[in-house]
Amino acid sequence: MTETCRAAIIGGNRIPFARQFGPYAEASNQDMLTAALEGLIARYGLVGERVGEVVAGAVVKHSRDFNLTRESVLGSSLAPTTPAYDIQQACGTGLEAAILVANKIRLGQIDSGIAGGVDTSSDAPITVRESLRRKLLRVNRGKSPVEMATRLLALRPGDLGIEIPANSEPRTGLSMGEHMAQTARRWAISREAQDELAMMSHHNLARAYDEGFFDDLVTSYLGLSRDQNLRPDSSMAKLSALKPAFGKGDHATMTAGNSTPLTDGASVVLLASEQWAAEHGLTVQAFFVDGESAAIDYVHGDEGLLMAPAYAVPRLLARQGLSLQDFDYYEIHEAFAATVLSTLKAWEDEEFCTTRLGLPGPLGSIDRSRLNVNGSSLAAGHPFAATGGRIVASLAKMLHAKGPGSRGLISICAAGGQGVVAILEGA
Amino acid sequence: MATETLSEAPRLGPIFLRSALARGPRPRTLPNTRLVLSDQGVDRARLADYQRLCGFPLGDTLPATYPHILGFALQAELMARRDFPLPLAGLVHLANSITVHRRLTAQDVLTLTVYAEALAEHPKGRTVDLVTLVDVDGHRVWEGRSTYLARGTPHPDAPTRGERPGIPRSPAAAHWRLAGDLGRRYAAVSGDVNPIHLHPLTAKLLGFPRMIAHGMWSYARVLAALGPLTSGPGTSQVWFLKPIYLPSSVDVLIAKDAGHITAALRSPRSHDTVHLVLRHERA
Repeated sequence: MTETCRAAIIGGNRIPFARQFGPYAEASNQDMLTAALEGLIARYGLVGERVGEVVAGAVVKHSRDFNLTRESVLGSSLAPTTPAYDIQQACGTGLEAAILVANKIRLGQIDSGIAGGVDTSSDAPITVRESLRRKLLRVNRGKSPVEMATRLLALRPGDLGIEIPANSEPRTGLSMGEHMAQTARRWAISREAQDELAMMSHHNLARAYDEGFFDDLVTSYLGLSRDQNLRPDSSMAKLSALKPAFGKGDHATMTAGNSTPLTDGASVVLLASEQWAAEHGLTVQAFFVDGESAAIDYVHGDEGLLMAPAYAVPRLLARQGLSLQDFDYYEIHEAFAATVLSTLKAWEDEEFCTTRLGLPGPLGSIDRSRLNVNGSSLAAGHPFAATGGRIVASLAKMLHAKGPGSRGLISICAAGGQGVVAILEGA
Repeated sequence: MATETLSEAPRLGPIFLRSALARGPRPRTLPNTRLVLSDQGVDRARLADYQRLCGFPLGDTLPATYPHILGFALQAELMARRDFPLPLAGLVHLANSITVHRRLTAQDVLTLTVYAEALAEHPKGRTVDLVTLVDVDGHRVWEGRSTYLARGTPHPDAPTRGERPGIPRSPAAAHWRLAGDLGRRYAAVSGDVNPIHLHPLTAKLLGFPRMIAHGMWSYARVLAALGPLTSGPGTSQVWFLKPIYLPSSVDVLIAKDAGHITAALRSPRSHDTVHLVLRHERA
């Protein structure tokens, strides 16, 4: 099959991100994804429209939400004949959804599509302890009341209790922050550098809001019109006063200030063929050029949990015949400030690039003034699956302003030692 | 017509109590009064509870039926007064229509106006229309008309008003199970604490074999099922035909035509028992 067209990014919409147990405490993933969709539909005149496909997902998900995206479509103003499916690749979900939609558009299988993601850390599914769950299922399988009652007797006080999803790796038992602290130490990332990156994220996001950058990217929801986590007056003095949250002793550099908080939110992006965009009178902001994913072995200590994008980017650059310096904007997801700094340091490191990446030399440094110029997750918050859509929509708008041929690189790390990266080009 | 501006929304409990105790002669004509309640912000927690209970997504858009529950306190206040020709207790909600001129959101600050008109004879008694108007920044954004029946002296020759659409002939599009506490839950959200909805005993006292679902809940639930378009500009009309006893289950019938949708709720067991017919037309 030959590539028939380019995948155009028309625009995006998200609801402001709220802190855990904040204004969205009662909102479900479906509520938030529907709200983000409705804002996109209103902005681009999609009422009653059959879109080729809607692809989205959530990381923290109730089992009843097996068809989360389709249910959200049915609750939206899109035509009910719009197909949808769910995906889940941890924090890479939103960007992976965009890759999938873009690829189908490029293949001519669909002429329009919506990619997105949503996550709630407030309306989390609660499960019973594994031992209780197994015993209850055994009771349920009982063939007679006596058998069921006998099996009920197997319950012990220790079986009682509930479990709430935790931000930790199933195979290591370490939280993401604890994993990141190991990597930060490996790359000797200073507390000061992390705090500075966090401060810049807040200042950049605040400036972008003040300049009206988000006016056509964000729709207010449940009384919130800006990201709740944003602190425009963030300063080095305030950040340096915070106590470390991850790691131990002198090497503990990661705080609540330079790590992303748990948040609730949703984002969606509209992609289409150029022809579809023209037929609908919509402006193309950027093109989705290419995407790549990578995974590393963090289970056996070979590599840091969140370092996979460092491996994905050089593969993508090689395929596209580009160097790391060929970009006007870099969007490196700030899971933690240390994630961004470790990744950049790894690319500057000759030994890492030659032995780990198999390159002839280091990828080199980037112009830091092009990094996360309108803020990133440290300021905005990071509702896991919603981050990809936030970044794709913002970057597409920035590239459109920069002009045709401008380039942007997206890098997102994900739980499970994975990473998803992509290249956009301005239209 | 005399305009009477209220400083706060009347509380419904005392109104129902007052009307239940009211004795004495009533006038023959409708009061010449408009009740106005200005600058009402939307309570987001209450809106969220309403959206959950009626099946709307949690969000900033006001369901088309939502302003009705804000205006209902004014309706009840007007009807509980001694100068109202029909007794509030025992009124049956026969029909309702709502026109949305523009999509309303939780940010809107609403001014509500309520008055009564069209006192008329009905085969089973007399009916009255309570009109609710909602303005935002001086613009009319929403209009509602609720038709209530006071059972009484029959007027067999009275004309029936409004042609209601036929029942969709399609098979059931959905099947809803309505819980026994639905009336109490809707009463808590809407403030409509009419005893016929609350408990089997209080319903029996007022002549119903069991408690019944609020008509306005079933209206809202059907609009929610028809999708977000019903919250935008358009007109919906609903006819409440037979009460829905709680707990119970209903079949949902839907027929879509160009520009309008007809829906009905009927009993799954006895297909002749139609609880409600609704028609929605987009502006």
